[in-house]
Amino acid sequence: MALTELNTSKSENPYIPFLSEITDVIKHTKIEYTFRMTYHGDVKPGQFFEVSLPKFGEAPISVSGIGDGTVDLTIRKVGKVTDEIFENYVGDTLFLRGPYGNGFDIANYKDKEILLVAGGTGLSPVKGIVDYFSAHPDDCKGFTLLVGFKSPKDMLFKKDFEIWKKNINIIMTVDYPDEHYDGNCGLVTQYIPELMIKGLTDAVGIVVGPPIMMKCTISDLLAKGFKEENLWISQERKMCCGIGKCGHCKIDDTYICLDGPVFNYTKGKFLKD
Amino acid sequence: MLDLNTKKIKKNAYRVTKVRGETASRVRVPGGLLTAELLPLIQNIAETYGNGKIHLTTRQGFEIPGIKYTDIDAVNALLQPIIEKLNINQEIPGKGYTSAGTRNISACIGSNVCPFATYNTTNFAKKMEQEIFPNDLHFKVSFTGCANDCIKTRMHDFGIIGMTEPQYEKERCMGCQACVKACKKKSVDALSVENYRIVRNTEKCVGCGECVINCPTRAWTRSPETYYRLVIMGRTGKRNPRLAEDFLVWATEDAIIKIIKNTYGFVTNYIDREAPGGKEHIGYIIDRTGFSEFKKWALDGVELDSRTIVKGPIYWGGIHYD
Amino acid sequence: MGYQTTTAKMNAIFADLSKEYVIYAPKRYVGDGTFVHIDTIRYGEITDLSEIEFAEKSNYSFKEVLLPISETLFYFTENEMKEADAPKKGAIVFLRSCDLHGLKRMDAIYLENGAVDTYYKRLRDNTKFILMGCENSFENCFCVSMGTQQSDDYDAYLKVAGETVLVDSHWDVLDAALAGATQTPVIPDSVTANDTVVTIPETVPQTLFDSPFWEDYGNRCIACGRCNFVCPTCTCFTMQDIFYTDNGKAGERRRVWASCHVDGYTDMAGGHAFRNDKGQRMRFKVMHKVNDYKRRFGTHMCIGCGRCDDVCPEYISFANCINKLDALVNDTAKEEN
Ligand code: HEM
Ligand code: HEM
Ligand code: SF4
Ligand code: SF4
Ligand code: SF4
Ligand code: SF4
Ligand code: SF4
Ligand code: FES
Repeated sequence: MALTELNTSKSENPYIPFLSEITDVIKHTKIEYTFRMTYHGDVKPGQFFEVSLPKFGEAPISVSGIGDGTVDLTIRKVGKVTDEIFENYVGDTLFLRGPYGNGFDIANYKDKEILLVAGGTGLSPVKGIVDYFSAHPDDCKGFTLLVGFKSPKDMLFKKDFEIWKKNINIIMTVDYPDEHYDGNCGLVTQYIPELMIKGLTDAVGIVVGPPIMMKCTISDLLAKGFKEENLWISQERKMCCGIGKCGHCKIDDTYICLDGPVFNYTKGKFLKD
Repeated sequence: MLDLNTKKIKKNAYRVTKVRGETASRVRVPGGLLTAELLPLIQNIAETYGNGKIHLTTRQGFEIPGIKYTDIDAVNALLQPIIEKLNINQEIPGKGYTSAGTRNISACIGSNVCPFATYNTTNFAKKMEQEIFPNDLHFKVSFTGCANDCIKTRMHDFGIIGMTEPQYEKERCMGCQACVKACKKKSVDALSVENYRIVRNTEKCVGCGECVINCPTRAWTRSPETYYRLVIMGRTGKRNPRLAEDFLVWATEDAIIKIIKNTYGFVTNYIDREAPGGKEHIGYIIDRTGFSEFKKWALDGVELDSRTIVKGPIYWGGIHYD
Repeated sequence: MGYQTTTAKMNAIFADLSKEYVIYAPKRYVGDGTFVHIDTIRYGEITDLSEIEFAEKSNYSFKEVLLPISETLFYFTENEMKEADAPKKGAIVFLRSCDLHGLKRMDAIYLENGAVDTYYKRLRDNTKFILMGCENSFENCFCVSMGTQQSDDYDAYLKVAGETVLVDSHWDVLDAALAGATQTPVIPDSVTANDTVVTIPETVPQTLFDSPFWEDYGNRCIACGRCNFVCPTCTCFTMQDIFYTDNGKAGERRRVWASCHVDGYTDMAGGHAFRNDKGQRMRFKVMHKVNDYKRRFGTHMCIGCGRCDDVCPEYISFANCINKLDALVNDTAKEEN
């Protein structure tokens, strides 16, 4: 059956997903694959889709790349949640809802010196930003990607790094090196003191990763001289509906699914679970 | 110069005590629940005719010691309002308890207070009292509200343990699993989850109602009917103390009453008249006759509910000193 | 328009309306309570006014009519999604003034916050609300503190006194049905004071979120969620996918009530929980009810029905918590000055 005959357009009912075809699968690690899905419509890095996973249910997945008529969804096989999706391959389909959330606004970073600090899968929601400035290096005053993975086996987007390194400064580190690895080791925060930032008062920092990593990185960046209003974070939370109804993502009067997940730190710092 | 018929005295619920010349009066409280107004009457007997002390018996009675045998008639007169208030079957008014073989029917506090109870234990105990008293045969019957068995029915000839059949309304269920966790941690792990809905293992379920108590949305409720587990022939004693075994599960009130009454017939027929004092305990009688003979008598004319499970043959364990 | 009529006449009118509406009202379910021989009062279908429990507060609110405890959203096969059918009939719901205010709290979430909720809206649009008066305050009610003791935003008000029924109708269909009845002004019964009085702190400084104040609740709360489930203004849910087949390709998606007190509420797929401490869950609920919601929607979320206090098996009083919090906020402010 051709997809066009099926349920590929968005319904009036915000809970009803639409069908999307898997056009490519990129395997990063044993448990992390990127699925390139057909999608026609506006979407920003940092937004997410609710992906229906057979035999499980829905999971919120950040957009990790935006193409012409496609979006990339990088899915990590955690617990029972996302196991089943790994049985789906090219030509197969998945049900999606979205995109949801505010996402990163590239305009906020243009003509600035940018430091992007990402931990592990935290790279997915910001990968679109790296893609953009790697393709348009003249749109900013300098771009440093400081990224940490647990071990060399956990590295994501290896092919993309090859492209990025031509135009942007990359510092990659792993917590646990293996015998074949000869790069940087240790936590991302170890590399913050030596970073050469030209204009600290104007430079923007974008930080995405596990809660502890974000907390430490931000305090180090503030200590280094970054201004609060120049820091941006993306908050990962339990999501269910994605449309401000179910309550799971709520923190104080903020619905992460509607008002986030991307926050300027001046707002983000007050978000207490 | 006391000249007493101790058999008659014992039958009248007075004890032949170790103190020469003194007896003790036993005041039974069926189901263990009484109105506070009776306490001053008991106090009065203890202070007027006894030694001012009252013992709380294991079977939920008051034992008033230090009474002179010569005061028995006077004490019986004072007992009369208590016996009437407690609604005790009495053959001759004014003569105290006219029979003391069948022991006081004891009951845990049950639904009067206890959150776990599945029925009003006191009411059933009182109903049973009406059915089987007065009687000279040595029977111990007790009622407990739930499978926790606080009254220790398993040490009785007949123990009645309340059960409810949990009713599940799936449309009220969120799949929070509060019931599953409660059943696993506090009861017998009879619940499981299938497609976010709960499945009750009816073979395993003991009808304790933990699921009902813990469900926050009333997806589980109690069955309108109360069911009972009837456990039989538990005992303490010198020769072979042992716990009662299940006879009926998911039994009804009527069936239980009829079975116990039938057992009086069985005991009357088979009791060993040569036993010391003409007294032989039911459990030992069944040990002699065999379980199937007892079962034949017990279930005679009993209408069993379609849900009732009859266990047997039963083999009791316990410790043998004999 | 106000009317005086009889129960017989009114029952006949409802019998007629029941062709198009299912009539829901608080009903006494004998013996269905948590403990044996304890009743529960919750919403159910009625056909006669005598079935309605007017004398006592319902243990559960009307919200299950508009937000069923478990609701199928759609059915799916490998390639298709089919929206679950809406009920064929509309609904008539009997409720008290506080609950009618609770309806507005639900509307804010389900009709305004983000996308419109198709399932809520389709029920809501076909529901008529009949106000039940309160002659006296019930235990734990604090509607007066929350300003919810009165409402005229009803389709009708109805009071039964013996065989007499007083109705104030804002609904043309009812006006037509009552055309022959005696007209008389009818003013809904409402209370002017409650035993429980609650003072809400206007703002709670975030520094108090980590105060030992919450630890007491952490030690007492058993995370059963009852306070949320009985609350007319708690609107949270979780979705569940049910698969009819082993290959996992056909099934249905449901949503079921959720509670921020119950384990799992903030758990991510990987297992990380953002709010494990029960005291912090209490803080989160309390702040949502009287502070966070107001900042977003302009009114407090809590409507003061007191059901949470009625139900808590650990005797945790939400109302008292707010008052104690208010005192704490005032003390803290004084110390800082
Ligand atoms: C002449 C025979 C017996 C007499 C006069 C007698 C008398 C009594 C009395 C007066 C009590 C106290 C009742 C109360 O607390 O209200 C009692 C309790 C008890 N008797 Fe006996 N009894 C006799 C035989 C037996 C035998 C043969 C057994 C066991 C095989 C037995 C086992 C018990 C037990 C276990 C209790 C404790 C109460 C309970 O929880 O059941 N008795 N008896
Ligand atoms: C929620 C759990 C429990 C509660 C609320 C509870 C409560 C009580 C109460 C109030 C009594 C006093 C009864 C009286 O004075 O007549 C008691 C006695 C007793 N309980 Fe528990 N209990 C619990 C669990 C248990 C468990 C699990 C056991 C044993 C496995 C147990 C064994 C006993 C024993 C042996 C007695 C003494 C009975 C006697 O004096 O004859 N209890 N319990
Ligand atoms: S046996 Fe059950 S009902 Fe009776 S007091 Fe114990 S727990 Fe309560
Ligand atoms: S406790 Fe109630 S709502 Fe929760 S899973 Fe059990 S039956 Fe369902
Ligand atoms: S928080 Fe309590 S008092 Fe307030 S609306 Fe909810 S149940 Fe009623
Ligand atoms: S108090 Fe908790 S359960 Fe209720 S609406 Fe708020 S977050 Fe949801
Ligand atoms: S009802 Fe009481 S114990 Fe249960 S979650 Fe609410 S506050 Fe905690
Ligand atoms: S994910 Fe449901 S409200 Fe945000």
